Amino acid sequence: MIQNLISMNGYGIFVWSSFAITFFVCGVVYYKTYKTLKKYESEFAKEINELSREQKTSVIENSKIASQVISSYSKTI
Amino acid sequence: MFKFFSLSNTFIWIEKLTKFISSIFFILLIVALSFALILSPPDYLQGDSVRIMYVHVPAAWIGLASFSTIALLSLANFIFKIKNIKLITKSIAPIGLMFTCLAIVTGAIWGQPTWGTWWAWDARITSMLVLSLFYIGFILANKLIAQEDKADRVSSLIAIFGFINVPIIKYSVDWWNTLHQPASIKLTGTSTIHSSMLMPLFLMFFVLLLYCALIFLMKYKTEIIRIKKKNLKRL
Repeated sequence: MIQNLISMNGYGIFVWSSFAITFFVCGVVYYKTYKTLKKYESEFAKEINELSREQKTSVIENSKIASQVISSYSKTI
Repeated sequence: MFKFFSLSNTFIWIEKLTKFISSIFFILLIVALSFALILSPPDYLQGDSVRIMYVHVPAAWIGLASFSTIALLSLANFIFKIKNIKLITKSIAPIGLMFTCLAIVTGAIWGQPTWGTWWAWDARITSMLVLSLFYIGFILANKLIAQEDKADRVSSLIAIFGFINVPIIKYSVDWWNTLHQPASIKLTGTSTIHSSMLMPLFLMFFVLLLYCALIFLMKYKTEIIRIKKKNLKRL
């Protein structure tokens, strides 16, 4: 049965390579997108942390996004 | 109503939606792959090579649907000038390009056992290649043109002009004599594909759509952070 699943009556190389290419590309794109998002989040959080205390408080109070990013960044480190 | 669509609110529901999709994605992927690779029957003519359809067809559908969405949103952007629209189109374009290329590559792999060739300058295949060029043009216009307004205008024009290619792709198999088979699944009329193959096909399509949603949400979130980062001093 496993032999049949792999060979697929001689079409295995075509079928498996199609699925492998699709999922490999999807995996790489997912990884790159995730990495870019995390890079931007950490850069944004670092820039907020570099602000003076008053500026930082005002940014976090005025922006839900900034407060979300800061909280998720502090969870990851 | 407009407050609901503000960047802050969007950012919060992106988080929730991402978590929800991630929680169901792998289960659905395993079910879809089991049907596509094991449980669905082989075709009476093409044998097991028909299983390539379960990645090729959804990839082509997503490539076409993404470009249609980009074109319609670009048209809306021309009329209403909503900043959010630009963020959405910029986030969709790489996903659409990836799936268009996957449709071309998996189509070539499917072509070898069924037609005896990897590539033919057939109307359907060539028009899909043209679609990928429009995607590349759209992405490059946004990346290479420094002035944001000009980049918006050029990329929108590429998308709107490129939309002409979408019905050409759809009807190419009817208008010209092509190696590519005519559509088996019809929106109006009876589909010529058996339900034992149709169900896994829709399941794979749904799983790949969920994947697209995940990538789109991450890209959209990145774009929002990029804007906030640029405007940090004004916050």
